[in-house]
Amino acid sequence: MSRVSPDQDPFRAIADANRRRMLDHMLAGERTVGELAGLLGIAQPSVSQHMAVLRLAGLVEERAEGRRTFYSVRADELRGVAEWIAKYEVFWGERLDALEAHLARQRQ
Amino acid sequence: MRDIVVVREVAYPREMVWAALTDSRQLGAWLMPNDFAPHIGHRFTFRTKPAPGFDGVVRCEVLELRAPERVAFTWVGGPLETVVSFDLEAVARGTRITLRHAGFDGAGNLLPRVVLGFGWRSLLAKKLVVHLAGVGHGA
Repeated sequence: MSRVSPDQDPFRAIADANRRRMLDHMLAGERTVGELAGLLGIAQPSVSQHMAVLRLAGLVEERAEGRRTFYSVRADELRGVAEWIAKYEVFWGERLDALEAHLARQRQ
Repeated sequence: MRDIVVVREVAYPREMVWAALTDSRQLGAWLMPNDFAPHIGHRFTFRTKPAPGFDGVVRCEVLELRAPERVAFTWVGGPLETVVSFDLEAVARGTRITLRHAGFDGAGNLLPRVVLGFGWRSLLAKKLVVHLAGVGHGA
């Protein structure tokens, strides 16, 4: 849970709706920028820009095959984001238990 | 906006809960050692054991302070600047505490899909999916 630069922040990377749609498609299997542009109905340069953000955040990886580049989701990184939030939920549940126990001690 | 929300009713008066939330020593007894002070704009830290990738310091600033009903502070201890708030409401039994940890925007929309898509079956994951489904209408 160290601080990261905004460019590498996976939360910011998935804050954009088009990038989430790209990830959704890549969850189904690896895709090229051209395929994603067709699927999303947006221009290839836009998809390339979004892809750069996702790569910088470590959420996708690329594989070259001939002249084509295929992109896929790095599942572990995405799971990391999910786990980070889930841990906080557990954390606050436990802390509120501790608060209640503390209040009981205060009253004694 | 997807927030973590935990609601808890306790059998203690609001002033007592308020003190437990806004007195540095009491806060340290149930949350984490800290140098909190009850002033808007006060910057402080919570300190806990460092873990891999985490230096053990949560950096905060007091944003709101309205005795005895609401305190809010920023919470930077991970990849995002988030906000933690406590709302206290007097109820027949004592006090209803609503904890909200906000600022996880964007993440929530994708997560259920990610979790389901990968067959992630841990108890934690199920809890998370239920939670996200439940808070979607909030905030």
